[in-house]
Amino acid sequence: MHPFSTVTLGIFVAGYITARWDLVTRLYELAIFAAEYGVVLRAARGIVVLSAFFLAIFVPVALVARRETRLHDGLMRVFWPTDIRKSDRTGVVVGWRNSTLDVFVVTILEDVDAHNVEFHLRSGTFFRSGPHSPSRIYDLCGHSSMHVLGISNAASQSAVDPSWVCAKTSTNSRYPRISCAKASSIQLILYDRPHPKGMQYISLNPIALALGDKGSLPEDVASSEDDSEETKQEKAIKENRRKLAEKLKQHSIVRRIASARDKALPKIVNQVNWSWELEQALQQNVGRLGPRPKRGLSVSERVVESATTMRNYVLVQLWTLFSVYLFPIVQKAFILVLLFHRMVAEILLIVLEFRAKPGYAALKDISATAQQIEIRLQQFCYWPMQYVTLRQRKANWASVTTSHPDYIRFYNSLWLVANDVIIGMAVGSYIIEHKDWVADQIRDLLRTYTVEALQRGISWLMGWPAGLKLNGELAAFLGDLFLWVIDYWSSCIETLSPMLPHIIWFIGFSSFAGASMPIAMFSDLLSVLTMHIYSFYLASARIYHWQLTILRSLFHLFRGKKHNVLRNRIDSCDYDLDQLLVGTILFTLLFFLLPTVMVFYLNFAIARMIIISLKAGFDTLLSCLNHFPLFALMLRLKDPSRLPGGIHFELRDTHESKIPDTNDKLFNEPPTSIIYLKNIPLPFHDMFHQYFQMAHRIRKHYLSPRVLLCLVTGQFVPPINRKNLYSLQYSMLPARRATVWEMWRAVNMEIDIPQKKPFHLPNIPALQNGGKRPTGFGRTRSRD
Amino acid sequence: MLTTAPHLRIRRPSPTTAEFTVTTLPPQTLPLRLLWLLLLFLRISLSVTMLLILYARWDTPAGAILAKIAATVSLPVLLPVAVAVFYALSLRVHKQESLLVLRGLGVQTCESPATYLAGAATRFIPTEKIQDILVNEAFRGFEVRYYLVVVVEGEEDVVVVFPGLLPKRKIVETVWRGVRECLYEGRGEDRGLASDK
Repeated sequence: MHPFSTVTLGIFVAGYITARWDLVTRLYELAIFAAEYGVVLRAARGIVVLSAFFLAIFVPVALVARRETRLHDGLMRVFWPTDIRKSDRTGVVVGWRNSTLDVFVVTILEDVDAHNVEFHLRSGTFFRSGPHSPSRIYDLCGHSSMHVLGISNAASQSAVDPSWVCAKTSTNSRYPRISCAKASSIQLILYDRPHPKGMQYISLNPIALALGDKGSLPEDVASSEDDSEETKQEKAIKENRRKLAEKLKQHSIVRRIASARDKALPKIVNQVNWSWELEQALQQNVGRLGPRPKRGLSVSERVVESATTMRNYVLVQLWTLFSVYLFPIVQKAFILVLLFHRMVAEILLIVLEFRAKPGYAALKDISATAQQIEIRLQQFCYWPMQYVTLRQRKANWASVTTSHPDYIRFYNSLWLVANDVIIGMAVGSYIIEHKDWVADQIRDLLRTYTVEALQRGISWLMGWPAGLKLNGELAAFLGDLFLWVIDYWSSCIETLSPMLPHIIWFIGFSSFAGASMPIAMFSDLLSVLTMHIYSFYLASARIYHWQLTILRSLFHLFRGKKHNVLRNRIDSCDYDLDQLLVGTILFTLLFFLLPTVMVFYLNFAIARMIIISLKAGFDTLLSCLNHFPLFALMLRLKDPSRLPGGIHFELRDTHESKIPDTNDKLFNEPPTSIIYLKNIPLPFHDMFHQYFQMAHRIRKHYLSPRVLLCLVTGQFVPPINRKNLYSLQYSMLPARRATVWEMWRAVNMEIDIPQKKPFHLPNIPALQNGGKRPTGFGRTRSRD
Repeated sequence: MLTTAPHLRIRRPSPTTAEFTVTTLPPQTLPLRLLWLLLLFLRISLSVTMLLILYARWDTPAGAILAKIAATVSLPVLLPVAVAVFYALSLRVHKQESLLVLRGLGVQTCESPATYLAGAATRFIPTEKIQDILVNEAFRGFEVRYYLVVVVEGEEDVVVVFPGLLPKRKIVETVWRGVRECLYEGRGEDRGLASDK
């Protein structure tokens, strides 16, 4: 205090006391009174009690609280984009604050005031001119507004909030140096911004290339009892594993409650996906915070401006002419045509899926062609819906990643169909041009392999094949029977053969609808033209199986036992002598006839197996043509970040940042670990996951000991459940297709959207002199 | 000589982040480096030779030794042999498996692949999904192996850390203690658990 004012104050006090002397005497009396009645003692006692309280309760609580905070939240987590501008200027770090010490940096705004930025972030000035509503951003990123997280390259740290980040970036260091008053250690996690306009994004889980809404395929179950044993086994194994997992859960001793930081990961993934667009918006609008440019336009600028305005006016007029008069008519006509096709497709689909009774086979279950047509029609029904969904993507921010798998699926199926048609045209024109040659080839093949080879094989079996002494009479009987049927069949084929070039021509013509069509037709043709082999197989298998069953029961009789049907077990039985005698004679007879029947059965079974594997080959070709992940493969090569398969972290070495700095006294950096967050591109085996699954199922079904047993005992080998085999074919289609009415509604809704879409003006060329243009303020400023 | 028994290396730049690497790579000394160079040279020269043989088979330049060799071997034999040789040449000598622990984020296992052609296989498990981390024992042949397991919530299979190397119990225990200390905030129960295990 100034000495003069001290003197003044002293004089004032002295004067006051002398003027009011009675006040002083009264105070004196009060003191004497208090001393006499023990007031001082009581007051002292009160003070002692209060300080005891303070020492016993408040001080320990404060200590514990301080220790807790140090234990609990010493760790600061900073997400930092790798492509942030590195400069030595001061700036404000802007981003999301997920919790006090968990921050996600989006960008650094340079040369602005922190409090001003905070105010504008809260009021949403930055997104006011954005193309879409900012509420979607806040929704997905999990916060109601962005925050100022700290400052970068600040000269002094005096005016800084303790939870703010102080970053030091410079042009020559790769990593920023971060400090924070509250943090005792720091995880600096660097991330690459995915480019949302290029549809790049990251995700925690691998992208799903197949549609995942298949609970169970409708009504295709038909033969559920075939796989009952396998499915039962699988279920039992699954149940066992589930129980084990449950047990493991009970074994974990400490149940930890995830902190806010642990739970923030999905939110952070979204924030990473959004960061590019947010950064663009912030940097473009940072000019709104500062003063606007006031300089008027020069003459040349004005000339350029009016010229571009004129050009834009003409373009806009032309565009409105087109969009108001011409475009709606074309669009309506197209939609009507589409709807008509959709109705035709619906009728065809109903025919293809018609079942006489539930559980009976529909047309598409029997014939590969019908199934191929059905798949194409289903795809055709699904495309408009998919396209509408994809169009809606345009009406939102590019960073919304939910529709990206849909995009890949849509274009994959379009591309596959286009490929299919292209290959089909080549194949079709070849077949049509050489239809006589192809027909001749097919006829020759049919004659050599399905008639002559069979005849030769049967006559070989009628002699003594490979030195086996078969029963001559039975062999001759069976052989003659089969040869006679083959003769009849070959004469049928001969009468049909003039038709063959026409059939081939038809197949060739159908391949203009895609190469998958002739393949499916050939598959069907194969099953029709080898019908006799199928019936031979059935007949011989029946005879063989019947003989085996009789042999088994006669063998029991031979041992003096019998099969008790009621108890389902083998009982002893007292047979009469004549029963035993006749039974034994029959047993011997049948036993010696068995090899003859067996060789015939094996002959046809092998032929049948060959045909089944041929058809399996056709089916594999079909599934490759229909569902090869071609688009995904190309994307994987072109831009792996469009197919995210998860994230991974990389611990970087930190010794670079240990270089002593000139102003290190200001900057007490806590121990920092630098981590790099990276996207894992989808591995190739995930793309072909469904093919692997299908191969696994087929292997498990046909290479199981049960099938071998069926083959050996002459039972009918159950074909694999079509639901399992063709789940791949249907994996890209929804379980329930949209009705005609739904499509009509979706397509009409879609018309409304492009009306809002503004016409994109061509880029106005930049002006020579710095280009300060009143319309784009701030744009140039952010770029310096 | 080129590999050692699996040993542990820890990188821990800050107390909340640690990387535990189990590797069979021996410490780098001068003879070892020379050996590495020799091996590299051998690999390159062998693959070049193989490529030349394939080329000779394709184009048959007259008179060369390789062309004679290539001519004597039939193509169905040569191609599989070439593929096998290329595979053998691309095999890595040592194995390396690591576990990265980040508090607040999760743990990440990483295995170096068998060949130089493939990338490392990583698996990241967020903290939310980690149900437990424990050391278990299992019979393997005639020995008992201790191994570190991450139990993932909602999954039937547990994730085995260091599945290929399966280091000794001492290393596994060190890693286990390190992971618990690093991943979870220090509380009394952890220390109690660590002592009774």
